[in-house]
Amino acid sequence: MSVLTAAPTEIYESGDSALRVVALSEASEDNWLTVHRLADWLEGCGAEGLHGAVPTYDSVLVEFDPVLVSARQVRAFVKLGLLEMARSAGTEAAPREFDVPVVYGGEYGPDLEKVAEYQGISTEEVIRLHTEKTYTVRCLGAPAGSPMMDGPAFPKPVPRLKDPRLSVPAGAVAVAGRQAVIAPASAPGGWCVIGQTPLTVLNIRREPLVPYKPGDILRFRHIEAGEFDSYVGKELEPRP
Amino acid sequence: MSGQILIQQPGNAVVTDLGRFRGPRFGLPVNGALDQYSARAANILAGNLDNDPLVEITALDFRMKAHSDILIAVTGAPLTLTVGGRPCSQWEPVSVRAGETVAIRGINRGLRAYLAVHGSVEVPTLLGSCAPDTVVGFGLQLKEGTTLLTRRSVGPVRQPYFDLPLFRLGLERPSMGQELMVDVTDGPDVAEFGDSAELLFTSEYAVSGRSNHIGLRLGGELPERTTSGEVLSRGVPVGAVEVPSREELLVLHRGRGVTAGYPVLAVVTSNGLDVLAQARPGDRVHFRKTTVAEATSAHRRSRAQLETLRESVNTVFGLLGIGCRPQWQDLPVAACS
Repeated sequence: MSVLTAAPTEIYESGDSALRVVALSEASEDNWLTVHRLADWLEGCGAEGLHGAVPTYDSVLVEFDPVLVSARQVRAFVKLGLLEMARSAGTEAAPREFDVPVVYGGEYGPDLEKVAEYQGISTEEVIRLHTEKTYTVRCLGAPAGSPMMDGPAFPKPVPRLKDPRLSVPAGAVAVAGRQAVIAPASAPGGWCVIGQTPLTVLNIRREPLVPYKPGDILRFRHIEAGEFDSYVGKELEPRP
Repeated sequence: MSGQILIQQPGNAVVTDLGRFRGPRFGLPVNGALDQYSARAANILAGNLDNDPLVEITALDFRMKAHSDILIAVTGAPLTLTVGGRPCSQWEPVSVRAGETVAIRGINRGLRAYLAVHGSVEVPTLLGSCAPDTVVGFGLQLKEGTTLLTRRSVGPVRQPYFDLPLFRLGLERPSMGQELMVDVTDGPDVAEFGDSAELLFTSEYAVSGRSNHIGLRLGGELPERTTSGEVLSRGVPVGAVEVPSREELLVLHRGRGVTAGYPVLAVVTSNGLDVLAQARPGDRVHFRKTTVAEATSAHRRSRAQLETLRESVNTVFGLLGIGCRPQWQDLPVAACS
């Protein structure tokens, strides 16, 4: 991958056990690369007391044990990491590609019509826009290592549900704001669910628990409700 | 020699540890014992490592039967502890003979108790931790009839040694009650709340019954966000104070979703999180502003007390011949044969 021009950053206090580092470049791609490379560097630096780093789009949460290391020391580590990163090319593996079959609408995607109506387009158009895009996994989020992605090219951002659902099933394919996601496990959720994949995404009997990682590529493929059962029990796997 | 424990009345109990620290990177919450101080203290009093698996008992009565001689310690919220029908003290090592029942009843003032067994118990782990994760469906929820294997059995300890007043050696018990003082530092997004951020320190908040290990919901006067617009999902720290609705304040605890799109008004300190772990529905919470430097010093002081406790326990166990971590355990198998 390319040599990175590390984006300018700002470091915020986030309690006695965490710092938030925010990348401030105009280019969102630079921000994303910066926070993920910083997270990788922090994971690998072996500093005592560092629990780990949670990179998302433009920020990374750095967690630590305040008995072993202070917020000030971690701040210094972060600055060192940003310098070191800029000196070396990234070592990211080539992205893997995942094909995700989805049944849209009906009981599988209860919010499909609402999303279409809000966008002023047909449900077929929502499905077309959702399936035509190639998605990069930006980060692993809640719940359970959800692949957080930049959303499809809808005319407008998608508002979150006013009343979040108490339970959204595993495999739910959802959109909110300018983001898209798959729910690996059943959990409460306030995003608009437009479809569901029959594939198993989360498997706690293996490591990693989810098959994709930030930087990997996902594509959604429209399947009919009648095909759902033929995929049940199969795991989401990268293309060979 | 290992031992067996039979769960007779599980109440609401799980086997946990200090948390899944590798989890957040993979989108899993850290979880683990909510009152970390009490959990560490229980393990230290039982001669274990701080992070060893132990039982977290929330609110409801709990009963178990030892099938071999074991040594336990119970900490956390005040409660009635009996062993074989005899009343016993919390915050002290307690000998349990084979066949005796350990009963924990009437958890009061606080919400959570911790029961550590010398030698700990055998449980499966995920990413290096046994802490239950309700979202991914991992963890050992105890049921009636569950058998736990302890890694070590300890013969009965004769009096009077355990009448030694360990707590004159300086271990503070966490404060509990209906009025709770919780320290917070300014959150990274405090500016988004303008002047209304100060309401957090002048208002009183009531703990809602809909609170759990993911977060506590608090009713009271709410600071209001002065900015609008969608926030990109970001990693949120344990202890984050957010205002997601017009009704309640949300304070995220160790089961929190790792990423969220709400601005973080304040962050509860490590010591403050232990206080909130013991908050019961209806309890009243006052927030007090502190700095990261002060919060760190306060947390280091309480951990230093635990280190003092560990030294005392090691001394007492040494005198009694209870090996905390026998040397031979670390030898390669060949050396023992």
